[in-house]
Amino acid sequence: MKDFWAIYRRNKGSIIGLVILVVVLIVALAGPLLMPGDPWEIKARPLLPPSTTFLMGTDVLGRDVLAGVVHGAQVSLLIGLVSTLVAVTLGLLLGAFAGYFGGPVDDIVVRITEFVQTIPSFILAMVLVAVLGPSIGSIVISIAVVTWPPVCRLVRAEFMSLVQREFVEAAVVSGQRTANIIFREILPNALSPIIVMASLMVATAILTESALSFMGLGDPNRISWGYMIGAARSALRQAWWISVFPGAAIFLTVLAINLVGEGLNDALNPRLARRGRV
Amino acid sequence: MNETLVIDIRNLSVALPPGADRPFAIEDVSFALLPQEVLCIVGESGSGKSLTSQAIMGLLPGPEVHIASGSIHFEGRDLATLEDREMQALRGARIAMIFQEPMTALNPVMRVGDQITEMFRFHGRAHEAADRVVELLGAVGLPDPASIKDAYPFRLSGGQRQRVMIAMALALDPAVLIADEPTTALDVMTQKQILALIKDLQRERHTSCLFITHDFGVVAEIADRVGVMQSGKLVEIGPAREILEQPQHPYTRRLIAAVPRLEPPDRAPLSDRKTIVEVKGVDKTYASRGGWLKRRPVHAVKDASFSVRSGETLAIVGQSGSGKSTLARCMVRLVDADAGSMTLAGAEGDLLRMSKSRFHRHRPLVQMVFQDPYASLNPRHRVGDIIAKGMLAQGHPRDAAAARVKSLLELVQLDASAAERFPHEFSGGQRQRIGIARALALEPKLLVADEPVSALDVSIQAQVLELLAEIQQRLDLAVLFITHDLRVAAQIADTVAVMHQGEIVEHGPARRIFLEPQHEYTRALIAAIPGRAWLAPSDRIARQEATS
Repeated sequence: MKDFWAIYRRNKGSIIGLVILVVVLIVALAGPLLMPGDPWEIKARPLLPPSTTFLMGTDVLGRDVLAGVVHGAQVSLLIGLVSTLVAVTLGLLLGAFAGYFGGPVDDIVVRITEFVQTIPSFILAMVLVAVLGPSIGSIVISIAVVTWPPVCRLVRAEFMSLVQREFVEAAVVSGQRTANIIFREILPNALSPIIVMASLMVATAILTESALSFMGLGDPNRISWGYMIGAARSALRQAWWISVFPGAAIFLTVLAINLVGEGLNDALNPRLARRGRV
Repeated sequence: MNETLVIDIRNLSVALPPGADRPFAIEDVSFALLPQEVLCIVGESGSGKSLTSQAIMGLLPGPEVHIASGSIHFEGRDLATLEDREMQALRGARIAMIFQEPMTALNPVMRVGDQITEMFRFHGRAHEAADRVVELLGAVGLPDPASIKDAYPFRLSGGQRQRVMIAMALALDPAVLIADEPTTALDVMTQKQILALIKDLQRERHTSCLFITHDFGVVAEIADRVGVMQSGKLVEIGPAREILEQPQHPYTRRLIAAVPRLEPPDRAPLSDRKTIVEVKGVDKTYASRGGWLKRRPVHAVKDASFSVRSGETLAIVGQSGSGKSTLARCMVRLVDADAGSMTLAGAEGDLLRMSKSRFHRHRPLVQMVFQDPYASLNPRHRVGDIIAKGMLAQGHPRDAAAARVKSLLELVQLDASAAERFPHEFSGGQRQRIGIARALALEPKLLVADEPVSALDVSIQAQVLELLAEIQQRLDLAVLFITHDLRVAAQIADTVAVMHQGEIVEHGPARRIFLEPQHEYTRALIAAIPGRAWLAPSDRIARQEATS
C-alpha cells in the first residue's frame, strides 16, 4: 500500500486529478446543503449574466445555473459509478467464465460480445433509453449494456493467460473448487488492468449520460449537466454562461478521472509504466 | 596494451541503479581473451556473467546500468568509451554474439537467407552475400543449404535455428564470438552437436570465443580456460584442466561438488516394500492444432506402464516432447488419459477412470510439485494460505491447518515466520521448498515432481534434492520424478524409466540403466551428457581426493 501511494505520487497529473475529483465528490455529496431547494425552481429574470448574487448567471427560464451545476454533479457521478459497476460486474463474470472454461462457453460469450460490439454503441444506448423510458435506472442499464464488452474481452484475455500458470494447476491438484479457483486464485491477479479500465469507463459513462441528456433522453426529474447544455442550445449566442459552466464541469470531471486512471495504471502496473516513460 | 591479447578487460565495474541488491553488477573484473581460445565464464544466476558479455558488446540495458570504471581493450580501442556509431560498426563484424533463445532470436517473418544477407548489407559488404550465404549454411552443418536459405524460421527446429544463428554470427569472420548460454534451451543431444560445431568452427576460423554458461558439464566439453564469477567478482581464472580438477577457490570447489555425479549410488533394494501405485497402459493423444485441413493428432503417451513402491523414487527421463510431462499430468488428472488405469494403495477403484467428483476425495493421495518456482505460487497469497488451501478445501478445520503449516515449514527447513510473507520475498530455492510443503500438506502417498529443480542453480538444486530425499525417507513416500537431466536422475532415482516419443523404451534399476544401458536411445542419451568424460566415476574419485 505504501509502495502504491509512492508510485502514484510520482505522476503530478494524477495528484491534480485526485484533488479535482475529491472536490467534485464533496460538491455532489454536499450539494443539497450548499444549494438548498429545488434546482428547477425559477429564481430570477431569465438570462442574467454571472454576478455576485448568481455566480454563474441564470438560464432561459430564470433558474440558477450554479444550483444546476451543483445538483447535476450528483446525477453525473451516480450514473458514472453505478453504470460502470454494473458493466464491470457483467463483463467480469462473462470474461472470467469464457477465459477459464474455454471451448463452447468461450465461443458463446465471444459471439455475444461481438454481436454487441457490431452495433454503434451510442445509438444502441439511445434506443434502449427510448424503449425503457428515460429514468436514472434505464440510463444506467443502457450505458452498462453498451460498455461491458471491452471489459469482458480484457478479463477473458487475462484469464486465458493466467489459467495456464502453474499456481492454477496447483490449486486444481490440491482439490479446490472451481469457483474458488476463479475468484480467489485467478481474479486477484487480473484485477489491476480491470481497475484501470473501470476508472476510465466512469469518465466515458459520464460523457454518454451527458450526450443522452443533451438529446433530451435524460431523467426528466433530475437535473444533469448534459440536460443543461442541451437546454442552452437556443440561447448559445446570447448567453454563453448557461452552456459553458456545465460544460466546464463535465470537462474537469472527465479530465480528473482520466488523470486518476493514469495514476492508477502507473501504480498498479509499475513495470509497464516505467518502460513507457524512460 | 598487450598486442597478443584479443580482448583485454581491466578493472571493469558495472553500476546497478540505486536500490538494487548490490551497488555493482560487476566489480573490478580483469581478464583477457587470448587468440584462438575458448574462455568459459561460469557462474550462477545473478553472478554478472551475462552482463560481462553485454558490457563488451555495448548492450548494457538502459542508462542506469552502465560501465562505472575500467577498460575493455579490443583491436587498439577501448570499447568502454566508444561512440554508439563506432560500436555498431564493430558489432557483428568484429565481435559477434549468439543468444540463448534460438526460438526468439530470429525474425519470424523473414527468410533465413535474407537475415544472413542483412549482416553483409549492414556492414557495406552486400556484394559478398550472394556467394557466401549458402556456403555459411553448409558450414554450420545444415542439410540442403540451398533450400534452407529460403525457409522461414518456424520451419526449423531449435537446433537448426541455433545453427542459423551461428552462421549469422560467423558471416563476417569476426575476431571474437560471444556465446551467451547458447545451448541451455536445447535438448541434451542437440546441445552436444552444437557444442561440437562451435568448437570446430572456432578452430577452423581461428576465432576467439567467450562462452557464458552455468553448466560445468558444458565447460568440461568446450573450454580451454575457465573463469568463475560469484556476485559480480571473478573469483578464479585458469586453464580448464586445473579449474576442473584442482579448484582453488572455495566457491569453485562448492560449485563443482554440487554437480551431480553420474554414477548412481548403490542403494538398498526395495523389493520387500509394498507397491503403492500401479499404472497400466496409459495412453494419451492430443488433437493437434494446426491448419484447418491438416489436423494431425499427437500421440503423446503410448501404453505406459510402471509401478512405484513405498520409499522408491522412479525417475522418468526424456527429452522435451517425449511425453513425460503429459504422463505426470495424467497421474494427477490435470490431463485426462484416453486409456489406462492407475490403482493406489488406500484408494478403491481405478483413479484414472472414476468420475471427477469421486476422484476429488482421493486427491490428497496424489500430490504434485511443479517446475517453475516463480509461476507455481500465487503471487497474491501469503505463503501460509498457499500451503493451507488444500487442507481447507478438504474440510480440515482452520486452526488445525495453521498448526500443520507450521510443522510443514519446519519440515522443509523454512522459518515459521515465512507463513506471513508473500512468495516474492523468497528466492527460487526457498519457493520450491514452499511448493514441496504445499504438496505434502495433504499427506500424499505418491508425490509427482515435474522437473522440480530444472529452474534452479546447481548448488540450490543439490539442496532441494537432498531435502526431497530426506523427506521421502522420513515419510516413506513413493516419488515419481520427471526430469530431462540425466545427472539429476542418477543422483536421486532408485529406478529409471526412459521415455522416447511417448514410449517407455527402457525401465530398470538406476545403476543398471546408467552402467549397462540396453536400448540404443538410452545409450545415445547418456553419451550426450555434457562433460561425461570429466564426470566419469574414476576421475571423480581422483578429483575428490585431490580437493579434500
